[in-house]
Amino acid sequence: MTVNNTIAHQRLTLTGDRERFKELLRRRLIECGWRDQVRMLCREIVKENDGNNVTFDTLVTRVTPRARALVPDTVKKELLQKIKTHLY
Amino acid sequence: MNDTGCIHLNNFKAAKGTNPYKIVHAFFVSCTSYEARRYKATSCLCFTCGKAGPRMHSCLHCIFFACYNGHIQDHSKSKKHFLYVDLSYGNVFCAQCQDYIYDRELTELSRNYRVKEAKALGISVPYTPWLPNNNEVMALRRLRKRRLISPHTTIGLRGLQNLGSTCFMNCIVQTLIHTPLLRDYFLGEKHKCKTQGSGKCLVCEVSKLFQEFYSGAKTPLTLHRLLHLIWTHARHLAGYEQQDAHEFFIATLDVLHRHCMNGVEDTEKKENGRCNCIIDQIFTGGLQSDVVCTSCSGVSTTIDPFWDISLDVAGPGSLQACLERFTRAEHLGSAAKIKCSNCRAYRESTKQLTLETLPIVASFHLKRFEHSSQIDRKISAFVSFPAELDMTPFMSTHRRAVEAADNNNAPEGVFEDNRYSLFAVVNHLGSLDAGHYTAYVRQMKGSWFKCDDHMITRASLREVLDSEGYPDLSFCSRVVNYHCWSYK
Repeated sequence: MTVNNTIAHQRLTLTGDRERFKELLRRRLIECGWRDQVRMLCREIVKENDGNNVTFDTLVTRVTPRARALVPDTVKKELLQKIKTHLY
Repeated sequence: MNDTGCIHLNNFKAAKGTNPYKIVHAFFVSCTSYEARRYKATSCLCFTCGKAGPRMHSCLHCIFFACYNGHIQDHSKSKKHFLYVDLSYGNVFCAQCQDYIYDRELTELSRNYRVKEAKALGISVPYTPWLPNNNEVMALRRLRKRRLISPHTTIGLRGLQNLGSTCFMNCIVQTLIHTPLLRDYFLGEKHKCKTQGSGKCLVCEVSKLFQEFYSGAKTPLTLHRLLHLIWTHARHLAGYEQQDAHEFFIATLDVLHRHCMNGVEDTEKKENGRCNCIIDQIFTGGLQSDVVCTSCSGVSTTIDPFWDISLDVAGPGSLQACLERFTRAEHLGSAAKIKCSNCRAYRESTKQLTLETLPIVASFHLKRFEHSSQIDRKISAFVSFPAELDMTPFMSTHRRAVEAADNNNAPEGVFEDNRYSLFAVVNHLGSLDAGHYTAYVRQMKGSWFKCDDHMITRASLREVLDSEGYPDLSFCSRVVNYHCWSYK
């Protein structure tokens, strides 16, 4: 992360816009069914390891690559576009 | 998942209470003030590497921020500070248990701070799913019967007998039963009635009706009690004639709105001068009317509450085109001069209607019946409507911003979401005096059904949008978590 990025990050946090973008992203991911899909992935992993305690860390390492790939391009584009126009 | 924490967290709470957690949460997880946001922006960088992530954590024992890339773990090991808080979600990690742990008390605190933060930033309060309390857990345990909800489940669907030209009522009842938020309200048994058992309260009757719809039985229902109640309370509708579904809809909302007050103390009735009964919370919006004087350009603005939007049908077109026409500035002409408070004289003026506040459920009524002294007729032009509708262009704030920016810049409002999603359509088939009403309703995620009195048949979205009967009423709900029922 460069100095510029840190400043942008701090500015977004200060104005509260970071939370607003997060809320928008959260809403989009729910709408498109992404959250439900990821929940199913997690459920599968817990089932595979039945009996043994699955920790958050193992869940994150197993699910993250697939969950990332599942984010629809339209959602990524919308967020990127909105953050760009907001920053400049 | 249990929510009783772990031995290490419980020991920590016994020694230091919940204050350390409260401070970390209110300042660095969900900032409840500008001051807190300033602290978070300037100090929430990893003390070891200076970066803002990934997954920042704060030590619960001392002032120390670090990322999850090993640095918070290093701190925890070297100082023997075993508990640290995730700054995105507010969950507590216990290094001795090697996982996040959940504690009912802290979860409750966290939720309260989140609501506070959302209010401070003016964003919608994050949705938290329903969690049963102890009494509800007991009740669920006692009730052994379970029902699996799948995409093919037909629970919540029931036909309604025609009691002699009562298809107008059946359609409106089907629509109300399939209004997502009303369903949640009634199935959650939120209506507490003082006149319980008297049989005079329409809200209680609708409450019973929801139980009937969701009982799992499939035989058609007879709505004679409901019809009788509405006849008693809205006398102009009484009689065995075909009525106008739209008129019936508004009358029903009105009676429900009046009866909602049956169980409420006077002090709770109003919030900021507005009624907060479930009907008003769901259906009421604000219509702004701006009258502009053509000679001095003075504007007089009034805002009126509305339950539905009645649109003129000027021939084939779309719902958006109707709304566009509805919100267009209209010159009132020389025959209709209005007294301008600025010029203190009767002047010609223009009038424009816009939507000041949007309701959660928007109902659109297409004025297909034309009544004049010479002739009553029905305008049978096809009006298309979308499955998803963005209301932003018809909002007062949007219109102002567009005018101010001279049409060059898109108005502000990156975070606003004014999209609506279609969930019910009422169609009128036939002529003015010999017609029949049917309804399409959405049940579960994206499943549509046609309700023709006692007959319920599966329909496709295409069929709904192309409905040849020419829609008379359409109902759209704001896109807010309506999907939360879709899986399981």
